[in-house]
Amino acid sequence: MKSTAPRLVIHEERPGFGWIDGLVILALLGLFWSALHFGKGMLVNFDPATQQPLSRSPLEIPYYAGRTLMRMWIAFGFSLSFAVSTGYLAAKNTKARAFILPALDILQSVPVLGFLSATVAGFMALFPGSLLGVECAAIFAIFTGQVWNIAFGFYHSMVTVPNDMQEAASIYGLTRWQRFMTVELPASAHSLIWNSMMAFGGGWFFVAQSEAISVMNKDIKLPGLGSYMAQALERGDNSAAVWAIVAMILLILISDQLVWRPLLAWADKFKVELTESSSPPTSWIYNLFRGVYIFTWLHDRIGRWVERLLRRRKRNWKRRPLKSRRLGTWLWRGVGTGLGLWLGLQVLAAALDAAHALQSALTFKLIGHIAWLGALTLLRVVSMLTLATLIWTPIGVWIGFEPRVARFAQPLAQIGASFPVNMTFPIVVSFFVANRISMNWGSILLIAMGTQWYILFNVIAGAMAIPNDLKEAALVYGLRNWNLWRTLILPGIFPFWVTGACTAAGGAWNASIVAELATWGETTLKADGLGAYIAAVTRTGDSPLIVASIGVMSFFVIVMNKFIWRPLYGFADRRFRLD
Amino acid sequence: MNITPSDKDDLPPVAELCAVSKTFNTAGGHELKVLENINLAVHDGEFLALLGQSGSGKSTLLRCLTGLVAPSAGRALSGGKTCHGVNPEASIVFQTFALYPWLTVEQNVAVGLMARNVTWAARDAAVDRAIELIGLGNYHTAYPRELSGGMRQRVGIARALVAQPKLLCLDEAFSALDVLTGENLRQELLTLWRSPESGLSSIFMVTHNIEEAVEMATRIVVLFPRPGRIGLVLDNPLPYPRDSRDPEFQRLVSVIHESITTMALPDLPQDIPLSGQPVSRGRSRMESIPLVPVGQILGLMSILRDSPELSNIYDISDEIGKEFGETIAIVKAAEILDFIDTPQQDVRFTELGRRFVDADRLARREIFKAQVLKLRLFQIIIATLEETEEVEADQVIQDIASALPYDNPEKTFQTMVAWGRYAGLMDFNANTRTVFVPEGDTGEYVPM
Repeated sequence: MKSTAPRLVIHEERPGFGWIDGLVILALLGLFWSALHFGKGMLVNFDPATQQPLSRSPLEIPYYAGRTLMRMWIAFGFSLSFAVSTGYLAAKNTKARAFILPALDILQSVPVLGFLSATVAGFMALFPGSLLGVECAAIFAIFTGQVWNIAFGFYHSMVTVPNDMQEAASIYGLTRWQRFMTVELPASAHSLIWNSMMAFGGGWFFVAQSEAISVMNKDIKLPGLGSYMAQALERGDNSAAVWAIVAMILLILISDQLVWRPLLAWADKFKVELTESSSPPTSWIYNLFRGVYIFTWLHDRIGRWVERLLRRRKRNWKRRPLKSRRLGTWLWRGVGTGLGLWLGLQVLAAALDAAHALQSALTFKLIGHIAWLGALTLLRVVSMLTLATLIWTPIGVWIGFEPRVARFAQPLAQIGASFPVNMTFPIVVSFFVANRISMNWGSILLIAMGTQWYILFNVIAGAMAIPNDLKEAALVYGLRNWNLWRTLILPGIFPFWVTGACTAAGGAWNASIVAELATWGETTLKADGLGAYIAAVTRTGDSPLIVASIGVMSFFVIVMNKFIWRPLYGFADRRFRLD
Repeated sequence: MNITPSDKDDLPPVAELCAVSKTFNTAGGHELKVLENINLAVHDGEFLALLGQSGSGKSTLLRCLTGLVAPSAGRALSGGKTCHGVNPEASIVFQTFALYPWLTVEQNVAVGLMARNVTWAARDAAVDRAIELIGLGNYHTAYPRELSGGMRQRVGIARALVAQPKLLCLDEAFSALDVLTGENLRQELLTLWRSPESGLSSIFMVTHNIEEAVEMATRIVVLFPRPGRIGLVLDNPLPYPRDSRDPEFQRLVSVIHESITTMALPDLPQDIPLSGQPVSRGRSRMESIPLVPVGQILGLMSILRDSPELSNIYDISDEIGKEFGETIAIVKAAEILDFIDTPQQDVRFTELGRRFVDADRLARREIFKAQVLKLRLFQIIIATLEETEEVEADQVIQDIASALPYDNPEKTFQTMVAWGRYAGLMDFNANTRTVFVPEGDTGEYVPM
């Protein structure tokens, strides 16, 4: 029975290669060349004693930016694969879940910047005499800054794949790999890409910080935008600082436009709902590359070839007798258990060592002092949250209610959140010095520079999500001013505000390590707080103090998560969910 | 596709459940027995329909039969052999379609063949054939988003047929579609099943729509609820195409109606004069309450008052536009409150019911309260509330779970609170999760 209905979708199928394909091929080649070119720089010999200062010429900036970008992408690659595999494991295996979820929860509360010096020393020992060690440490710092969010997001979308989709996959006998590729990964793609974009944005802060660090009183500078900036800060070089800021903004903008926007536009088709979204995200580059023939060509040639290969392997797999397979499983299990045991013992031994070192180095008085500093930083974090909320909530709501403004303001706020706070120092610190503002107060502003944006764009998203009929009802019943805010706006944006404020608070603890101790040329401003303390002990390389201060900070973060954010999330979900 | 009994004896059933029981844990962690001692076989060439009210365990039975869910006791067989895991000979058409929105029609259909070792060419040919067969000829590269509900379900059917399963299962496959689309698709599926080139032999359909079952199936099984067990098995030898105005068709429908009704609303063994008797049918045993909002009971009463000609349950079901099972639940709720009486299929006001429906709001509430207090379930919690003023919801749910093992205790609790609120007997604080006696007059409570 042939339907006579007209063809629903007319695909403009390109007959073959066009100019756009040439462009794509060129771009791919360019990408390949850049990876080689910048990658080569990572493998050079390195000795902290004889390292060359970075060039001050702005002409070198593109090269440094490339190196920085390379680090970001390598770290992101690791983050993505780690996040997907842990998230998958946690979603599929109840035993693994019981261990992974709490571990992720604690790890994401640890301010990674404090560990930077320890990891640098470790990686340098791993690759003696090569720059690769320092590179790895920087990449590791970015990785630890972005991986937890992606992992949590992926786990969450894995467990919320609609049950009927999973059942359909079971009834049609899909293998694990097929199920992952046809059901689970696509169903998670949207949230995975969104979380990746946010995490990547957060990564700029870590890359800027980890490129130039001091370990055991030795300054190490990796060629990159962050270290170029750090050098400009040390020397008080105005024009170099401006160049670096401009380059940073450009880098963030280009990543956003060339990578994340097109990915988001593409990911719209992976939304689980069957309804068409009213205003799908758009991207000019996505529209440009949509019908590129080269991808179809590659898919047809290579995709089919890979699948045939997999099929053949599967057939072989099936033919193997059951017994040997079982033996293989046992073997793997044995190896896995052995490895796990060995790792566990190593960790235990290290922990015992650390505890011993701590015990001898720490006194109650010292711990009390660190806790007091932590309380000061906590005060700063809370005041930052309050200030940012008071200022940005009305603005965010106004933007969210004006769809035309929101369309460009929201991405701008995201970019603001991506911009590394330490790059704003030249402007802010010279302002503080000129106006004789104490760093104890000024650091609140510095912390806010990096984290307020999370509150802003979440409030915008919340205001945009308030359903139109509720707004109309408020209009009809003449709700105005405080009544309008109390009955509609505040409850509507509350769940979004909680998300934004929680992210901002988490970022603020990390930012305090940078923001409580700012240097600009000869001027160094220092605030009393745990962040400045961690920065100082990291510089001197006093391990017991590093561990103790980071432990205290992690404790503050965990307590805040447990007693403030978790209950607030629950409350928002129970009372103010809009569906 | 009719098969003589001797054929049936020769071939093992396509799929079979032997003494299957299934117990689930509810969201609140209570054990709930959904299926008990099910023996059911789907034979080759048969179109078997499984009927039952919502919540009777139909879907669970289907999932046990296809191996998606492992039974707690008993065995699932496929072609005479015990089936571990998913039955490779079965496929399912889902109520919600369960299409993958990111795959085109073609790719969605090809999912049905993913597990099979077929060459690319054979795969493409099979997909094309399934798509043509189900009338999706020009939609190969469309995404499910772009299709109407009926077209989406066609994709679901094509995907289920593409691997040529021995058993096609339909899980309420037509109930998410509008009436016209559903009817059209039913007819097309019947045509497919009856034409030999489709390769389709056995169909197992789960539905709550009695007419749908009688229209399509060669054998009809009615599942009785709480816990789900096989109630009635009927052969349906009517020739195709079937006409719903045919007296034999009508007779089958009414036989099924009757069996469901007598199951849900058993007539009392002896004729006690019910009306006007203050404490009727001294209920000592805990009785489960139908999960029906108060507003629907009131609505039923109003309709019965306004349209006295509606005297039997299926006419009422037609009038209020609810499926038969739901209507039964509402009628049953009104019956356990003694507002109506149901001799056989008929529905009659009791004297109390007439008084109730004619009363004003406050008087209605008083009557409702008096009736509710006669229910064992309410007596127990009211007694506790008199002692302590406040009871933890979890405590109440625990009590319900132990007293009514076949009911979902959380849902029963919600219904109980709704009835109790209307009666002004109790209130529930969702934040503290406690049940308490409301202070003062709460006569303004409007049932929803």
